[in-house]
Order: sequence, then C-alpha cells, then structure tokens
Amino acid sequence: MATPSWGRAASRSRAWQLLGAARRGSSHGTGDSPATGVSPPEPEKRPSSRTGAQQVHSKNVESFASMLRHSPLVQMGPAKDKIVLGQIFHIVEDDLYIDFGGKFHCVCNRPEVDGEKYQKGSRVRLRLVDLELTSRFLGAKTDTTLLEADAVLLGLLESREIRQKE
Amino acid sequence: MAAARLLQAGVPRFRCLGSLGKAAPSTSQLSSRLFGTLLAPEANQQVDPTVIRRKLITEPLRHPDFFNVKELFSLKELFDARVHLGHKKGCRHRFMEPYIFGCRLDQDIIDLDQTMKHLQLALNFTAHVAYRKGIILFINRNRQFGHLVEVTARDCGEYAHTRYWQGGLLTNAHVQYGSGIRLPDLLIFISTLNNVFEPHVAIRDAAKMNIPTVGVVDTNCNPSIITYPVPGNDDSPLAVELYCKLFKMTITRAKNKRKQMEALYGLQNKADSS
Repeated sequence: MATPSWGRAASRSRAWQLLGAARRGSSHGTGDSPATGVSPPEPEKRPSSRTGAQQVHSKNVESFASMLRHSPLVQMGPAKDKIVLGQIFHIVEDDLYIDFGGKFHCVCNRPEVDGEKYQKGSRVRLRLVDLELTSRFLGAKTDTTLLEADAVLLGLLESREIRQKE
Repeated sequence: MAAARLLQAGVPRFRCLGSLGKAAPSTSQLSSRLFGTLLAPEANQQVDPTVIRRKLITEPLRHPDFFNVKELFSLKELFDARVHLGHKKGCRHRFMEPYIFGCRLDQDIIDLDQTMKHLQLALNFTAHVAYRKGIILFINRNRQFGHLVEVTARDCGEYAHTRYWQGGLLTNAHVQYGSGIRLPDLLIFISTLNNVFEPHVAIRDAAKMNIPTVGVVDTNCNPSIITYPVPGNDDSPLAVELYCKLFKMTITRAKNKRKQMEALYGLQNKADSS
C-alpha cells in the first residue's frame, strides 16, 4: 500500500475502535460480530447521561439518535479504504462470503496463500471498497443493487498480535 | 337455540325455561312466579358456550396490549440486529420517505422509533389473529432466508410460502383447489419484494381478497397497501432472524394464552354451576 505510515497507523487504531464498539454492541447477538480474540480496552463510552433526546426511564435507556451517532458504522465515516475485521459465514468452493457488520456481506476469492485456512468461522481482515454495490442504469427509475458489499481480502487475523490502544 | 336443545332433552317446558336465566328473562320471571324455586342446575353447562365464546373473544379486545408484545423486543435489540440500515439513496422508494431517519454518506437510515411503534402494532395484531385461531401464512422470496422462514412457520404451527407464487393462488383458489377452501387470515411478509425487485404479487392479491397483511418494508419497498408495514432492514441475516424469532414468540404466546383462557373460563363455568 502506498499510504504514508501515519495513515496506516490511524486506520489501524480506527479499525480497533470499530472492533471494540462492535463487539460491545453485538455482544448479546448471534455470533456474526467481527470481534477479535484479543480485546482492546473500550475506546468509546456510551454517554447516556449527556445526550439531548433522552427517554425518561428508571435505567439509562439510550435514544436511537445517540446509539446511531456512536455506532461503529457512523464513526467509521466513508467506507472507502477502511480496514475492518470480518467473519466467514459461508463458503462455496473458492468463494468466501464474509460478514463484517454492515448491511450486506462481501464475497471474496480464496487467496492462493494459506488457502485451506479459510474455513467457516475464520476471522479475516478486509479493506472495504463499498458498503453496497449499486448503480443507476440508463432508462431506469431507481438504482439496481447487487445486494453485496465490496471489499478486498487482506488476510487472516493473526491472533498472536497484541496491539495497544493508542 | 339453547331452548330448543333443552326441549329435545325432554325436560318439562316451564322448568327448563326457568333455568335459562340470561337467554329468556321475561319467561324466567314468569316461571319463577309460577314454580317458586324450582331450577334445573345441570342444564347450566349447556347454556353457557355461546356466552363463553363471546367473552373469550371480546376480553382481549378491551386491552391495548393484551399479550404484552412490547416486552418481546427493545430498541437496543433492533439496533444490534442492524434493522436501521437501509439501501443506498438511489434505491429509495418515494413512499418510504416518512420512515427514514436520514441519509448518511448515501446510505438511508430507517427511524427505529417509528419502527418500534409499527412493530408493536404488527405483533399485537398477529397475536390477536393467532388467538382467534386464524391461519397465518409467511411469505418470503429472498432465497437466502427461505429455509429459515419455513422452519419458523413450522415451529409455530403455521404456514409458509417461499417459492414461486402462481397467479391465482388467492384470487382463483376456489377454481384451483376446489370450493370450500379456507384462505389464510393473515399474510406476513418477511420481505415484500420478489426476485426481480418488484412488489410481491401476494400483497395486491391479499388486498383484493380482504386479507390483512403484515410486512417488513425496506427503503426500496412500497408500503402503500400493506395493512401493518414495519419499516426495517430485510437483507441482513441478523435482522431476519430477529423478525422470525419475534413472530414465532408472538404466535406461540397467543396460542398458549388462548388455551389458558379456555381453561379459565371452563373452570369458572364449572364453579358457577356447582
């Protein structure tokens, strides 16, 4: 990659923030969260006490606007060239269907390096290109959507790497 | 009707009319004056079925949330299941604009506060239909979740149709399947679009046949003629699993409630008569 080193470090820390919040956010759900084996300290707290549109309940219930604002998807910004973690949930011969926490999954080719290690449930690193592949064709009223995201597979997640949260 | 049944049993006329009570008030007053305290207690059990049935059916209608469907889901659960994620701006359907919270970097975000309200209404209606022993048909043409929807329908004792929809299934049922066929009382659409991104034919057909519909509408769907639209994501596996789980829980809860109420009224009736 021709990005400068600060860019790479910044995107790495952002990727970890994404994981931390996503892992916390989907901790109750059914296993499709792109969480890591190593848990970084939680970068963002959910400040339910200071948001404006607060529902009055006995326990601190966050409003939808607040949840959305602090969600990893929104904090990530534009999806282009962001590093995320995904999990393979389906394999068809050489095609890997990877879910990274967005609306759609992405489909990547099995790489030649370490090809057999990519099995159902493996965690992988992706560089996102687009969250949803859509395009307006000539003469059409609405966009045609492929119901898929687009990402480049970077490799398996190395669990031995321990990163410090900056 | 009850009087005729009792007459057929061969009980003398005035005595059986005296025991009717609510059914024929004027005659009972007359008979009590004539015969004093002569009453036939064993006839009470045969009188009450219509009254019980009426109470069974009208009792849930008095409460806005009789089955307490509000506790089945929370805003956090919907959010974590990615229900708020919509398609891109270019795919947006004009009639979904009231349900959209906003558009972030070209991706529509559905307003979950509205979704909560609509989902509560839809689940409440489904529960009432299931309580009254209605037939529910799940429809989904998204191949990724076809099996899940079929399993959900089987687990709650209802029906599913996740294959190609033939033209006259609802509108031409009496010709295709013979007369006296019972049509579904509720259609639940987990995805309202078919494989070519057009509205499913069953939406229009159900409206023609006066069958209410509940449907999860994404930002590229038309919510117009769906009776209880639920704005939400219909493409992510987590979201669809959540919907299936919620519908299954509501329907099972309603059916159990029905059994409970029938037992309760049966016991009450026995206590009254003895």
